[in-house]
Amino acid sequence: MGTAVTLVDDAPPDTRQTRSATPAAKKRRGRRENLAGYLFMSPWIAGFLLLTAGPMVASLYFAFTDYNLFNSPKWIGFDNFTRMFDDPRWQKSVEVTAKYVVIGTPLKLLLALGVAMLLAQSRRGQALYRAAFYAPSLIGASVSIGFVWRTLFSDGAVVDRTQSLFGSHVGGWVGDPDWILYSLVALTVWQFGAPMVIFLAGLKQVPRELYEAAAMDGAGPFRRFWNITLPMISPVLFFNVLLETIHSFQIFGSAYVVSNSQCGPADATLVYTCYLYQQGFKNAQMGFASAMAWMLLLAVALVTAVLFWSQKKWVHYEEDAR
Amino acid sequence: MGTRTNVERRTVLKAAGISAVTLGVAATGCGGNDGTSADGNVTIRYSWWGAEERAKKINQSIALFEKKYPKIKVKTDFQDYPSFWEKFQTQAAGGNPPDVFQNAVGFLRKYDKRGVLLDLGSQIDAGNLSLDHFRAGVVKVGQVDGKQLGVPVGSNTMALVIDKKVYEKAGVDPTAGWTWDEYFKALKTIHDKTEVPGDTGYFSIMYLYDLYLRQNGKAFFTKDGLGFEQSDLTEWWTDGYGRVKAGIVTSPKVVAQDTPKSSLSAGHGASEFTWDNFTVRYTAEGTSDYGLAPIPTTDGKDTGQYLASLMLSGSARTKHPKEVAQFIDFMVHDPAVGKIMGYDRGILATTDQYDAFKPTDVVQKEIAQYEVDTAKAGVLGMITPHPSGADTAESAFLRIGGDMALGKTKVADAVKQFFSEAQAAFSA
Repeated sequence: MGTAVTLVDDAPPDTRQTRSATPAAKKRRGRRENLAGYLFMSPWIAGFLLLTAGPMVASLYFAFTDYNLFNSPKWIGFDNFTRMFDDPRWQKSVEVTAKYVVIGTPLKLLLALGVAMLLAQSRRGQALYRAAFYAPSLIGASVSIGFVWRTLFSDGAVVDRTQSLFGSHVGGWVGDPDWILYSLVALTVWQFGAPMVIFLAGLKQVPRELYEAAAMDGAGPFRRFWNITLPMISPVLFFNVLLETIHSFQIFGSAYVVSNSQCGPADATLVYTCYLYQQGFKNAQMGFASAMAWMLLLAVALVTAVLFWSQKKWVHYEEDAR
Repeated sequence: MGTRTNVERRTVLKAAGISAVTLGVAATGCGGNDGTSADGNVTIRYSWWGAEERAKKINQSIALFEKKYPKIKVKTDFQDYPSFWEKFQTQAAGGNPPDVFQNAVGFLRKYDKRGVLLDLGSQIDAGNLSLDHFRAGVVKVGQVDGKQLGVPVGSNTMALVIDKKVYEKAGVDPTAGWTWDEYFKALKTIHDKTEVPGDTGYFSIMYLYDLYLRQNGKAFFTKDGLGFEQSDLTEWWTDGYGRVKAGIVTSPKVVAQDTPKSSLSAGHGASEFTWDNFTVRYTAEGTSDYGLAPIPTTDGKDTGQYLASLMLSGSARTKHPKEVAQFIDFMVHDPAVGKIMGYDRGILATTDQYDAFKPTDVVQKEIAQYEVDTAKAGVLGMITPHPSGADTAESAFLRIGGDMALGKTKVADAVKQFFSEAQAAFSA
């Protein structure tokens, strides 16, 4: 909405109109253009109101009710929220999700940054490499890749046999509650292409003369990375950390498919959204599921707030340097 | 000024146009269509769970129905079992369930309580649907509190499906009336001689534990809750865990990786307690020969078995109850449909179809023989009642039993967890 207004205000003065236009006419013209703007946006606005805002308001209401899809929702205050903390499966889902976020996100970003630094140097076939590393990000979220993953990490499959060569036999990660989560971590790390591209863009922005000056002063590769690259790309790093963290909290598809829709075994891949889904759509506990969804939103908001607060300490924008 | 007015008019027209389009979309989306077209043709929606094989047979049957009732068109869709019920629940909650659908005993009270199921009684009285010519004891499976909520298409009973080759190799020959002690000894013999675990995980199968409880004067469910104590289940699961540890029951790690295939047909177990008609599926999935063995007993005679069944139910919200009744009637009585369907959904429920279909392959012959033998042995009892939420309790039993067997949860905690989840399911 803001955009439409700004566009009108910023438009270069139309000489034909301004010559004769009174302030009142100007106002009318602005209103008319606003109307046209709203009209063009109406498909989006309708979609937002009907498909996003409406259901969100409804789910906020359901979160405080006992609702099984068939009864009329019964107001029960904060019962759904207190029930979470007494529910061992909810606690398990929080634990599994936290583990996934804390292990998966840093690994993925480290790999993305490492590969981006390799690809930032001019080499032959550079475009090909970039495309190749980016490809998993495009297809990784698909259901078919989930099936491929499930097969790769099964008993007697590629991963299991390779691992056995080194004397460690698990008998298939997907059947083992101690291992299966790491196959999901591997799947997300494998999709490092998207943050890699963003890192690449960041690395290209770092002025070459900084490195030349540092090299002249005798700084080695590590010093140059620590004192030049890292501070210079810290805004990009912050952006990636934020995006990937929020993204991994919402993991669902891979856990659902790799565990064959069980989110098991022994709830080992019972990620938060998977439990939410089971409660909402399998057990028809829609009130509880809605409360869970709002709890997740709160948690993600909290983590985001902490990240934003922390950026004062480690993110350097160029304006600060000036 | 003139121009300005024009612009406004155009804008208004545009706005009107857009809203008209939006309204049009909304109207089609909301399904204002009640399935009746101007020429008096009626369309009913029919959903079921199953796989491609069943879909083929059902489509052939529907073609016959549409030939006999040219004014009724049947629109179909199908999913696998869990997806079917997720979709059904959502559709039913939205007031738009299919007119007629496949159903099972575990869902009758649940959806009756929620007002989703059509009581077919009035259609039976009106002569649109006949309950004559059903095999003994089958029709009752679809009744709850005097209402006919489902009409059985085929009957089945729990059985022990065995890998014949492995049993032969181990020299184990199950006989009617064998006891649990003999069964568990057999598992050990099988494991010792063939290295294959004897059983794929009996302790987390709700319908088997039901039989065991029935042999001991209890049952898994009552009309509104669980029919056994925490101490019963603690004993059952402690023994089960011990047998997994001993290697005579397949490790749940292996079971998890075999799904959606059964560990029996994957060759990771020598026998599995399941519905007798599943032998057809296992024969298609696996490479060995599969057969049926008697359920072990506590007293040397009583197996606790009963006839269960897949059935067809109608939606309470259907606008075409008469056509739904006619469709169900045709699907359960027409001999040609019986010939097409075979024992895919259990032994055909009506004598019209049972007599029309003569199985030619070993597997289907054996299933028919098994139910004849079981009936003759006089062990068939009344079916256990299934409270609302029985389906959720069943899947919790399977999941928590598996977690327990992995050694991730202590038996005592697992039992407590199951009781609490089951209670939540019954009161939902």
